[in-house]
Amino acid sequence: MADIAVSRAGTVNGAGGRTSLHRLMQRKSTVAFLMALPLITVIVLLVVYPAIYSLHLATLNKSMERFVGFGNFTFLFGRETFWLVVKQSCIFAITAVVFKALIGFVVAHFVHNIPSKGQRKWRGMLLVPWVIPPAMSTLAWLWLFDPSYSAFNWILALFGIDPVPWTGDAYWARFSVILVNIWIGAPFFMIMYLAALKSVPEQLYEAAAIDGATWWQRIWYVTLPMMRNIIAITTLFSLIVTFANFDIVRVLTAGGPLDHTHVFATWAFRVGIEGGDIPLGASVSLFMVPILAVAAWFILRDITKRGNEA
Amino acid sequence: MTAVTASDAVAAPRPKYGSISKSRRWALRWSYFFLVLFAIFFLTPPIYMFITSLKSSAEISAATNPWWVFEPTLENYIELLTQNQYLIFFRNSAIVSVCVVSITMIISVLAAFALARMKFWGSATLATGVFLTYLIPETLLFIPLFKTFAFVRDTTGIELMNHWWTLIILYPTLTVPFCTWIMIGYFASIPKELDEAALIDGATWLQTLTKIFIPVALPGLIAATIFAFTVSWAQFLYPLAFTTSTDQLVLPVGIVTTLIKGDVFNWGQIMTGALLGAAPPLIIYAFLMDYYIAGLTAGATKG
Amino acid sequence: MSGSRLSRRTFQRLAAGTALAAPFVRGAHAAGKISIGFWDHWVPGANKATTDLCNEWAAKEKVEVQIDYITSQGNKNRLTIAAEAQARAGHDIMAMPSWEPHDKAKLMEPLDDLMEPLIKANGAVNPTVEYLGKADGHWLVVPATAGSQIKGPCSRIDLLKEHAGVDIQALYPAGSPPKADAWTMDAYLKAAQACHKAGFPFGVGVGGTPDSVDTAGAIFSAFGAVLVDAKGNITVKSDTVRQALDYYKQLMAVLPPDVPAWDDASNNKWLISGKGAAIMNPPSAWAVAKRDAPKIAEQLWTHGAPIGPKGRFAPFVPYFWGVWNFGRNKSAAKSLLLHLSQASAAEKMVAASGGYDLPAFEKLTLFKTWVEEGPPKGTLYHYPNPYNHQVLSMAGAPAPPKIAVQIYTQAIMTKMAVRHFQGEAMEKTLAWAASELEGFMRT
Repeated sequence: MADIAVSRAGTVNGAGGRTSLHRLMQRKSTVAFLMALPLITVIVLLVVYPAIYSLHLATLNKSMERFVGFGNFTFLFGRETFWLVVKQSCIFAITAVVFKALIGFVVAHFVHNIPSKGQRKWRGMLLVPWVIPPAMSTLAWLWLFDPSYSAFNWILALFGIDPVPWTGDAYWARFSVILVNIWIGAPFFMIMYLAALKSVPEQLYEAAAIDGATWWQRIWYVTLPMMRNIIAITTLFSLIVTFANFDIVRVLTAGGPLDHTHVFATWAFRVGIEGGDIPLGASVSLFMVPILAVAAWFILRDITKRGNEA
Repeated sequence: MTAVTASDAVAAPRPKYGSISKSRRWALRWSYFFLVLFAIFFLTPPIYMFITSLKSSAEISAATNPWWVFEPTLENYIELLTQNQYLIFFRNSAIVSVCVVSITMIISVLAAFALARMKFWGSATLATGVFLTYLIPETLLFIPLFKTFAFVRDTTGIELMNHWWTLIILYPTLTVPFCTWIMIGYFASIPKELDEAALIDGATWLQTLTKIFIPVALPGLIAATIFAFTVSWAQFLYPLAFTTSTDQLVLPVGIVTTLIKGDVFNWGQIMTGALLGAAPPLIIYAFLMDYYIAGLTAGATKG
Repeated sequence: MSGSRLSRRTFQRLAAGTALAAPFVRGAHAAGKISIGFWDHWVPGANKATTDLCNEWAAKEKVEVQIDYITSQGNKNRLTIAAEAQARAGHDIMAMPSWEPHDKAKLMEPLDDLMEPLIKANGAVNPTVEYLGKADGHWLVVPATAGSQIKGPCSRIDLLKEHAGVDIQALYPAGSPPKADAWTMDAYLKAAQACHKAGFPFGVGVGGTPDSVDTAGAIFSAFGAVLVDAKGNITVKSDTVRQALDYYKQLMAVLPPDVPAWDDASNNKWLISGKGAAIMNPPSAWAVAKRDAPKIAEQLWTHGAPIGPKGRFAPFVPYFWGVWNFGRNKSAAKSLLLHLSQASAAEKMVAASGGYDLPAFEKLTLFKTWVEEGPPKGTLYHYPNPYNHQVLSMAGAPAPPKIAVQIYTQAIMTKMAVRHFQGEAMEKTLAWAASELEGFMRT
């Protein structure tokens, strides 16, 4: 209601001797649309249009000359490797995001706990992994994991432990890839949570303390409910970015050994660019969208539902 | 949870609890203990990068203690910083990032204002739809974009392939949605009475935005700026796909493609380049961190 | 361009041994600008030799040359090639790794009029070059000197002698033909076992990157194991393939445990760090060792591959130079390629790359770089296969290139080896491979 009143007031105020075009320009919805127009243009031209084009690509045959409908997808569904990639992408994204969220939460809590004087220093240090461009920091990890020169294995050797095949064994390689992803992503969670923690009113904790709540109860009944939205949004954002990740896997393992670390993006690159089958590569990438959409739907629905309750 | 309380909380000193000070001291000790542990985890690779950057390639190959520098040398730093091409990468990255940040902020502030305050047909859908653009990954988009660029060239004669400024056009697709999202949340938290009063006083929408919203939402603006800067500084796939010539590359791609040759990795220089490349965002963060925290919370909790 | 007259004239010039002012660029339209995407050489200074050669040509032809050196790291060059093919625009000349010419066959300008005189002047090319560079009887590309390589074994003289009793310098003496009849697959395996026992395992990658796949191709060929034949039939379920896998199983037992994850840099590092007695690689590992670990470099010897039941095969990985048919300056591009393919140009590139680069033509394998490079002197003598005692092969061949490229990029052979080694039953591995190969039959 207030909105309408305001817009009327605006029109009345500016009515003196203006043409109808001016009035149209002054109308709230027109102005709003014009303001949003750059955003719409960018998204339509550089995201929506290419996305539709790749839908078209995904329906062509390998030499891109013939329409095959869902042929590429039925082919993919028959491939063992494809399902391996689906499984691995899910394991990879879910494990990485869960640990990122956990570590981010725990670290944020500890930073929040210490006197605010020292917080700036700790925050700065703990944020470093997120600031180094991932393509480069992953190279540092690659060097730490190197079969011949691994600095980790050097330390292990001091304790008489056999060298670990960080990227050589299928399970170790998955572990390594996820570890690096957690390392890069956890600081982002940390900083988001830290900000959320700061916005939980002190009085709530005081009240909880008076009621004799343990630290665990304080987290469970005070902190977490207050942070639900930010946790949901951060998780969703991170889930999408992790699921579609390209550089970490590409640099660390390039999908090996035995395809046991391939995720959607790297496999699509292997099939599409390196294998010379662009439509199939597009189909693989496209398959990510519905999986992510389901996750997004659940999380966003949860947020809006609670938003409406509030 | 408005922005105001959020930033206040950062600045306000923590209240002291005399009665529970003993348990608090223990909590503090544990906090420091775990923080040190996590700091080790987070900082090991950068420290190792630094150690490696001080080694000559002979020492790196020698397979001695990897955690110690026996003959520290600055030759990697000197070589990179006197090399013209590294400075070109740096310049390209800087120009691209600054332009992208400016474009992103203009687009997303305008759009966020419109979406948060001035409803129009489809605005609610657009607000959600903006975030959903992240569902479409870059790996899906770059091949169609090749075709699009070919079309642009054929119709207008403008060549978009292999130019660093093409990245200024592309990166906003990665930064604008999240920034718009943050700004929507931030604008929504500004009390309605404020802008209503301004409008009644005869201010136009644009004036309301520049005189009221932007000053009040400055922390959010800074948070979005930092996010946009980090993303455009670190992007890898688009520059890898769209630029080729050495004088058109940006930093991450430049380092990966010029310092690794065939099957020979020049580790000392790679680590040096990566460290130097991480410096600008690190410096920016150091100065703007408090705003960043306040900004992100307000945006995200409301969004 | 009238082909026959041109090539005869070209041939006469070549025969006369003069540096060539190609006839293509006489027309007014041909001068102007030309842009080239070369492979970014890892040897310091090697790019400069190529640049100099181009500038030499440019000065004479009054053409402006713009060169980009594009790395193969992370397959950046293949991404660029894909981009240019999709966008129908880009460099006039493009350096193409092994499989790209066939994949982009429809977009390549035929270069028969260059290859014909070049073969006449420089000798025949090996069948692998023909297999990869020629389609439907036409040359799609010309073989490039820069970037082409043989990935034969490179071994430690001292370690092989001490632990395996193999005097590799006697088998492959510098300056004279190899006396390597005893250098068999079995001898290779025994040497690997002995060195493993002594704590210096061979470093043979069994990962998914080219070095590993190329090695697998040569070992499979030595047993006559073929996954898909030249007609496109799947022949994976055969005794020869079983033999090759069994051999791999025995070999992998004495390799470092993480070889399934090795990339193209791992074998170099293995050798340079002094942990291994032998690898399969072109001379890049030796060259880096010469710079960073000279003591190890002095003990390195590049030699030929062991002989198997079906012959002696060495992985040969050619690079090509191609001309896009949508390019704007095709005649200048051809003229430049002819200039770069001359024996004198090839020799300059070989010298600048420290012997790494390998011309594909038969008569160009005895440049003095290979004879003289050291220490140890003569270590590269047998690298270019001077006595033709091994068959230069390509992993995935003789399958039709469109199928073979997928065998190669998906690393089917090394994956089979790893699966079998990790305990999967032979028939199950073969069945898995057969199903993967069926997937490659898409058109």
